Amino acid sequence: MEAAVSTTNAKELWSGGDSPFKVSYGKIMMWYFLISDTFTFAGLLISYGAIRSSQPKHDETNPLSWPDPNHVFNAGPGFHHAPLVFVTFMTFTLILSSVTMVRAVQEGHYMNRAGVLKWMALTILGGLVFVLSQAWEWTHLIHEGMTPSSNPFGAYSFGALFFLITGFHGFHVSVGVLLNSWAFIQTYRGVFDRRGHYEMIEKLGLYWHFVDLVWVYVFLAFYLF
Amino acid sequence: MSTLSREESKKRVWRVCGILALVTIVEIAAALIHYNYMEDSPKTFLNILFIILSAGKAYYIMSEFMHLKYELKPMVISVLAPFLFLIWGVIAFLWEGKYWLSMKQFWDVLN
Repeated sequence: MEAAVSTTNAKELWSGGDSPFKVSYGKIMMWYFLISDTFTFAGLLISYGAIRSSQPKHDETNPLSWPDPNHVFNAGPGFHHAPLVFVTFMTFTLILSSVTMVRAVQEGHYMNRAGVLKWMALTILGGLVFVLSQAWEWTHLIHEGMTPSSNPFGAYSFGALFFLITGFHGFHVSVGVLLNSWAFIQTYRGVFDRRGHYEMIEKLGLYWHFVDLVWVYVFLAFYLF
Repeated sequence: MSTLSREESKKRVWRVCGILALVTIVEIAAALIHYNYMEDSPKTFLNILFIILSAGKAYYIMSEFMHLKYELKPMVISVLAPFLFLIWGVIAFLWEGKYWLSMKQFWDVLN
């Protein structure tokens, strides 16, 4: 008897018209997209690991050895010989823009349009600062002679992988900035107020935090190891 | 949605922000101390520390910012389970890379 009851319940739960995960369709699809995107980034970072471990470790006397990140990333706008300082600034920008995004999602829950606008504006600003910083870093490294096929600091595959992976991440940040700007305009026009919920901000929030999460690993692979 | 009050969830966000910032500072400090004072010593221990700290950052971003901690358990499992494949991926391909290096050294084709 009891078994029969539980089968009916389970059947009802999974037979449509209900959300077994208690997560809306849009949010769960964003999660599934992010899982697949995680595998794309993981594929790139794992190739980085495989290619790096197939090269000799850093060695000043061997121009084909893996470069030392402290030598490669040691400049910022207006300063030199300061290893990892500029990338620390970039990392903090991304963390802060993730925090302002959470605040926008939270204000959305309380249908506070002014609050959402304020925090979304700060999030977009953070994203823009990050993309522009990356553009500066790329320009600087290209001037130093690092391209996908040459690298004055060591193994050329370092340059190829650096531009591929930070480029793919920067592309994600740029898309995020565009989507957030679109959501900012929609919020300003009162679309989500009329709709009765700010779920769009939540979905974009998931995407934006994912971009921050990927940066943790890009940062680990290129700047720390 | 969590059962936290508006003020509580606000405070929690800034606390997580503080944790992420602190962990990043610790990572950078450790990397720079190694670079400036002990460049000749192996980096193995430091790399293990970086992996643990990055996993900690990933935990806070997913659980608090992406709100995963407050979702139902089956949802959490269906999101996290696929990542188990990545553990195999990392080990297998780093192993492969090392083998590749030893082959290149054996046939002396590095330069």
